[in-house]
Amino acid sequence: MGRIVTSSPMQHGSLDTNRIMLLVVAACLPGVLIGTWFFGYGILINISLAVIAALVLEACLVKIRGREPRLYLADNSALVTAVLFGIAIPPGSQWSLLLMGIAFAIVIGKHAFGGLGQNAFNPAMCGYLFLLLTFPLEMTSWHIPNDAIVAGSSFSPIAWQGFLQALLLTFPFLTSDPSGIQATVDGLAMATPLIEFKMAGPNALRAAQENGLSLFARSSQTGWELVNFGYLLGGLFLLFKRIINWHIPVSILATIVVLSILFYAPGSTSIYGTTYLHLFGSATMIGAFFIATDPVSAATTNKGRLVYGIIIGASIYAIRVWGSYLDSIAIAVLFGNFCAPLLDHFCRPRLYGENRPLPTTENLPRAAAENNEPGS
Amino acid sequence: MSQSPHHKSFTARLRAHKIFGGIKPAVYKADALRSRVMPAPLPGNLVLPLLQHQGQPAMAVVEVGQAVLKYQVLAMGNGPLSVPVHAPTSGVITAIADSAVPGFGAQVQRCIHLQADGLDTAAELQPCLDYRALSHLQLLALIDAAGICGLGGAGFPTAEKLRVSIEQGVELLIINAAECEPYISADESLIRERADRVVSGAEILQSVCLAKRCVIAIEKDKADAIEALSTALQDSSIELLVLNSKFPTGGERQIIQAVTGFEVPRGLLPVDAGILVQNAGTAYAVHNAIVEGKPCISRITTLTGSPLQTPKNFEALIGTPVSFLFEMCGIDKSQHTGTIMGGSLMGIELDSDEVPLIKTTNCLLAKSTGEFPDPAPEQACIRCGYCADVCPARLLPQQLYAFSRSEDLDQLEEHGLADCIECGACAYVCPSHIPLVQYYRASKQAIAERDRQFQTSKQWQSRFQFHQYRLKKETTKALDKKLPGAEKTTANEPAQPFSRDQARDEIAAAVRRVAARHSNRTAPSSAKDKAKDKDRH
Repeated sequence: MGRIVTSSPMQHGSLDTNRIMLLVVAACLPGVLIGTWFFGYGILINISLAVIAALVLEACLVKIRGREPRLYLADNSALVTAVLFGIAIPPGSQWSLLLMGIAFAIVIGKHAFGGLGQNAFNPAMCGYLFLLLTFPLEMTSWHIPNDAIVAGSSFSPIAWQGFLQALLLTFPFLTSDPSGIQATVDGLAMATPLIEFKMAGPNALRAAQENGLSLFARSSQTGWELVNFGYLLGGLFLLFKRIINWHIPVSILATIVVLSILFYAPGSTSIYGTTYLHLFGSATMIGAFFIATDPVSAATTNKGRLVYGIIIGASIYAIRVWGSYLDSIAIAVLFGNFCAPLLDHFCRPRLYGENRPLPTTENLPRAAAENNEPGS
Repeated sequence: MSQSPHHKSFTARLRAHKIFGGIKPAVYKADALRSRVMPAPLPGNLVLPLLQHQGQPAMAVVEVGQAVLKYQVLAMGNGPLSVPVHAPTSGVITAIADSAVPGFGAQVQRCIHLQADGLDTAAELQPCLDYRALSHLQLLALIDAAGICGLGGAGFPTAEKLRVSIEQGVELLIINAAECEPYISADESLIRERADRVVSGAEILQSVCLAKRCVIAIEKDKADAIEALSTALQDSSIELLVLNSKFPTGGERQIIQAVTGFEVPRGLLPVDAGILVQNAGTAYAVHNAIVEGKPCISRITTLTGSPLQTPKNFEALIGTPVSFLFEMCGIDKSQHTGTIMGGSLMGIELDSDEVPLIKTTNCLLAKSTGEFPDPAPEQACIRCGYCADVCPARLLPQQLYAFSRSEDLDQLEEHGLADCIECGACAYVCPSHIPLVQYYRASKQAIAERDRQFQTSKQWQSRFQFHQYRLKKETTKALDKKLPGAEKTTANEPAQPFSRDQARDEIAAAVRRVAARHSNRTAPSSAKDKAKDKDRH
């Protein structure tokens, strides 16, 4: 008989890698849309460019490595890397910067290690850190359309003009007069509220609020917290869909909460912000729910994931407060990646029946127990 | 009599506990459960493998051409890990030959071929109306003679399991009616219709193994069976425990955890902890064997799958060809792409349908492309850990997979590969469609092969060492007797290439030895001491 005999189990669950990756992208949407609302089209342009470049690169590399590109592109992992990278890169970054970063992420961060499943480090964060080290100035300036920071300005950042402006920022060669754009841009560069806070103290935020910027006004200064709520929403969706386990995000957030409460000094001009600022003032939510949870480079046991989250949470806080780098998520996650193999080795679950005594009330050895039994 | 410590702890713990991991796959039992259990018609030819259980094959005691009666013994048990085989119907033995049996791939084993004469003439049975009149050892002997092995699928000889339980003493007997495989409904239909006989079998089993408590454990999605059981259990001391529906609750160690909340310590057997688990189908077979005197010649098996027009539970004779049973269910051959024996999660795919139904066949599942499409291509492991979340043994399948790929056998052992029960929950949830169980089976084989080689090489090493030791001893003996001056021929020195000078020296030494022997006869002990001194220097 010439049947093809398969191995058990013959039944399979409905979730597959392709769908997981798509759901992760879908979960990014609220954060991305809110980000666009506040910071203009730059994020969308970033993401689109990164996705196109990542898919082309992925196809080429898979081909070079002698594998079937269609099957490997279908796992959508390059898509997720590109989307996360596009979100992390400041909107309005130049195309060359974007391409360099995504190329580093896909070529060095992913395929140099052996492709999906083998990469020791989060590819998107590899690309991001590569840019941060090589182009520190560009990477810490968030270019945003003019009207986004002026309360009550006449047109919104998502209006057509904003799109044009963002596009010209990314592709400065499209206009005959790049200096005009650049001139405006210099005045618009800003950092995340946490960084502002770190640089200028709490006065900056207070000033922004006194200037009439409210939570829902289209202001980049207040927009950050809503963006974080967007990613929190997406993260809860992933948890609800059981795409990610709760261990990593919860331990990261809990560690940040604990540390920020411990070190908070109200009224002082020090750089220790409130817990709320640490959770919603920077990229904490996307880091905790989307970046640190990349399963390939994270610890793989649930116990290990708790420790992994604590390491990342503590690193995030430490780098923000005592370190000299402004953005801490990428560095913290990479640091966690370094620890992951060790955590996998030491944080294994207790196996069924491992170190379990026999079921006696006093845990007597069986023979002794039977000797005590006069009846039998 | 004082209560044993086991009893106390179990009293406190008996309720539906959680098992580690597990999955809740879609369940497809309804089709086969729509009709009642039907007796399958008598096939023309039956094939009875001598090995339908775990252990040694039985020994044929009939000859080719011999006419046999229904229930007659065809093969005797051969040792404790062997169970006899009986004639399912009357007829003539046409052959005792190797033929295809169900198993992994194409497997061939010694089988007795029986041509039915259609009369179904039965040998006289010896029913036992009151089993309480017999001692537990008499009952054990009857069970042994009835050819019963674990009918849940594992096929371990029931009598042997009971004998060990009597020897070691058990506190708790669990009748496993969990039946968590998504397609199998054999036990459910059995209990639904014949709960009283299952209960009677459980009572017999309890009185054989002398367990203080007996619990029938069943998953809560089997409402009809639960109702039938609670009616049947009204006047019984046996308890009913309804468990949560989760695969693989029916695994031996899993059902112990589900019933008692207690884990069988690693490396020990359930019986070491005072627990015996028997399948509900086995209890029914035990009832038949004792109360009706009938040996195990038939079983209830689920025939299901979309190519079958009328899926149902058949009470079929052991030895009935699988293809014959499929015909009885109106199989659509154009749809039929393969056959799984056992469930969709832990079953094995048959190489051919021309194999017999055996004692452990609890389900025959006809595959079709609609229901069982070709497995999706294997993708990279993204270490999501879903597999670890569902593993009932709490292993780390993702790590085991990585070590399997790199053939790191030491790490596989370190991570507890031997504890894998091959339930397939990991592969079921794997989003990258990795056939994990297949990797583990291959790795288990590789470890077994390595251990075997290690044993062989160790054996050869010890033989070689003994050889060396013997040579050395002989040389020392010779040395003891030789002259104190002859130092060149110690066993520790490496063999030198042949040279004339050396040969001359050796001849001279031999002459001296002979001369010395003559002179030493008077005082051998002092010469020995001197030779030892020489060795020390």
